[in-house]
Amino acid sequence: MNESFGDVAIQEGRYLYAVINSGAEFDFGDIGINDNKIFTISYEDIAAVVHSCQAEAYKTNDNDKAKEWILAHNYVIDYASKQFGTVLPFAFDCIIRGNDETIKNWLIRNYEKLTKELKKVENKAEYSIQFFCDQKKLQAMVTNSDPELKEFKEKMDKASKGAAYLIKRQFELKLKDAVAVEISMLANDLCSKIKEHVEILKVEKNTSQVPDKYMEMKPIAAFSCLVHDDKIENLGEALDVINKLDGFAVRFTGPWAPFSFVEVKDD
Amino acid sequence: MSVNIDEGNIKQGLLGLVVALVEIIQEVLERQAVRRMEGGRLSDQEIEKLGLALAELKDALENIKKDNDLDATVESVRGDLDKVTNDMICNLIGSPGLEQGLKRHE
Repeated sequence: MNESFGDVAIQEGRYLYAVINSGAEFDFGDIGINDNKIFTISYEDIAAVVHSCQAEAYKTNDNDKAKEWILAHNYVIDYASKQFGTVLPFAFDCIIRGNDETIKNWLIRNYEKLTKELKKVENKAEYSIQFFCDQKKLQAMVTNSDPELKEFKEKMDKASKGAAYLIKRQFELKLKDAVAVEISMLANDLCSKIKEHVEILKVEKNTSQVPDKYMEMKPIAAFSCLVHDDKIENLGEALDVINKLDGFAVRFTGPWAPFSFVEVKDD
Repeated sequence: MSVNIDEGNIKQGLLGLVVALVEIIQEVLERQAVRRMEGGRLSDQEIEKLGLALAELKDALENIKKDNDLDATVESVRGDLDKVTNDMICNLIGSPGLEQGLKRHE
């Protein structure tokens, strides 16, 4: 994101990491992207965490460099979270064209919206929850609980070679549909089990980024959750119960800055 | 939208793509055959003939994959195609059932 604010038509910019719940001026040191000096620009009781830069997006074809930048970006956000509690994090490469005054004016213009968002995430953090199940165990469970599916094996044994092949395919297609229905029911059930422990729950569609440990398992559902610090233990216990069920696994990661739950658009 | 084929070996990558597409066509044919069988539109003789032909096609594809060491390539192409298709479906029809389930819980 590379935005233009106000009427400052110069090439100076400020790289925005986060907005914090404090008006204190604070020097983070040279911990930013490319070792830039990180500082705050405040208005009333909030402040933007920034570094000074040219108003140009960070671009590189070097993957290692890109990773280094993103790690530095996240490190600043984590550091700010440790110092000031939950922050409003911004995505990588959010640069505002202008100077400190431009940022201050942006804070003034969006003060109500930003304080409301800060209140929303106060004492809370984002967590990621992914549920997996053992595909073979799930298939066996579905087959055993469905009399129609159980009958197929008998039919296959009695049939001639060509017919047996089609009956086997018929069985596999029905099993696939039945497993999909079961997964949908399980996902809703898991969702209802964790819902009471979280403030906001979002379904994540992409579950492809999983460690090798879970690669052999079938992803059932993935959620991003905004969780209050007081409820994290209860959520952990609820997930532990699910994790101990035969054929199930839970991947629970966090705390993260609440990237999935903050939306700040300039007026 | 892109499908990655093995750039290190164009011949294997291309063969893998062809086999992956034939596999998909075969699966469509099998679904049609099963549907007709379930609908009672095939005689016992036709079921047997169709089943044998599809089983032979499957065996032939498995042999081609084995002889040319294509298992990983075909799996990768099919994975990419699945992802493209899933993304397209999600974009066209919006969120899947789980999100509707979530709303019901609220």
